[in-house]
Amino acid sequence: MSERDIVLDNVSVEYPGGRTAVRELSVRLSERRIAVIGSNGSGKSTFARTLNGLVTPTTGAVRVHGLDPIRQAKELRRRVGFVFSNPDTQIIMPTVAEDAAFSLRRRGLSRAEIAARVAAALDRVGLTGYADSPAHSLSGGEKQLLALCAVLIGEPSLVVADEPTAYLDGVNSRRIAGFLLDQMPQQLVLVTHDLRLAARCDVAVRFDRGRLVDQGEPGPVIARYEHDQDLA
Amino acid sequence: MISLYRPGDSALHRLPAGPKLLGVMALALAVSLAPADPWLLAGSAVVVAGGYLLAGLGMAEPGRQVWILRWLVLVMLLSQVFFLPGRTVAANIVRVVAVILLANLVTLTTRTEDLVDAIERALTPLRHIGVNPGRVALMLSMTITTIPVIAGYAAQIREAQRARGVPVAPLAFVVPLLVMALKHADDLADALTARGVD
Repeated sequence: MSERDIVLDNVSVEYPGGRTAVRELSVRLSERRIAVIGSNGSGKSTFARTLNGLVTPTTGAVRVHGLDPIRQAKELRRRVGFVFSNPDTQIIMPTVAEDAAFSLRRRGLSRAEIAARVAAALDRVGLTGYADSPAHSLSGGEKQLLALCAVLIGEPSLVVADEPTAYLDGVNSRRIAGFLLDQMPQQLVLVTHDLRLAARCDVAVRFDRGRLVDQGEPGPVIARYEHDQDLA
Repeated sequence: MISLYRPGDSALHRLPAGPKLLGVMALALAVSLAPADPWLLAGSAVVVAGGYLLAGLGMAEPGRQVWILRWLVLVMLLSQVFFLPGRTVAANIVRVVAVILLANLVTLTTRTEDLVDAIERALTPLRHIGVNPGRVALMLSMTITTIPVIAGYAAQIREAQRARGVPVAPLAFVVPLLVMALKHADDLADALTARGVD
């Protein structure tokens, strides 16, 4: 097993109320940029959430970079960062710098180290001038950059982004996508409806009604998805 | 009203959060208990204004904050003016405004994380009776963060109702606000979990 392996073995997820979001999913992924596509309610987000332990599989086993998201949750969440679609719901602390620093709490770092890492992380995403600004006063794109910054400051080895551009305009979408796909060295699982972003990944997996129905080079997977959508 | 930290290098900015909080609590107590003497109340106002000047925030900032409090002042005035002597009404209003301005002076000159750390330290002895100071401190930070979000939801609901030509009824306002707030709480819980908070 390589250090970048994401392995799901016969995983099913059933939500309270009986709805099965993911059915008997077995997959092994190790590419750097992984696109997850599919229509609404197809199980994409549930799949993404199992990788960070936000959702517990009803059956089956998940290993992310060698870790079990449920039994080794604490260690896993240091290694796997999660970016949600709505940037407003990711802000935990009142100001930009404090929110970025929140990811470093309980890591045994000195104040000076935290301040240096916050400054470097804000600089990396272009938010240096906003350090002491109220986080909620940022624009949508800036908030999503802050969410990314708060994830990257913890130096994860995998970033899971669940429709990170869903709430953003074209300019900010391109900004976030460029950062995720081109600048970030970490492995990326990108859940998206934007097929142009999916096409820029190294592999695409497609979900439909809770099942993984297609997997491979993004171009052909996307073409088959669009073809099926045209027929629907 | 949630005032947030304004970076600066004044004596008040450099003062540690703990002593600053204690000082403000003592001043607030003194202002609240002071007799309704015009000179004493004017002195309180001068002390508060002096604090803002000392913090390098200028006189415009307390003026701006008093303006934000205008509706509170109006409600206080209307609820007391017919029942109490004018001097007592003025004293009550000055006391409340002075205490709010003093509290804001702390948040304007102290980083939230320093304030929260100070509160966490102050609560440490309560560990023995089962209080988790870290959790209480996190809850305070998140409360400060969430207030503008809830205010934003309220504005969205008002706009949506206006856009549909619906008169603003209390129930039609409160129910969606509650639903949005609960959804936000759910999402925030996920965000906390994703960032390693149990």
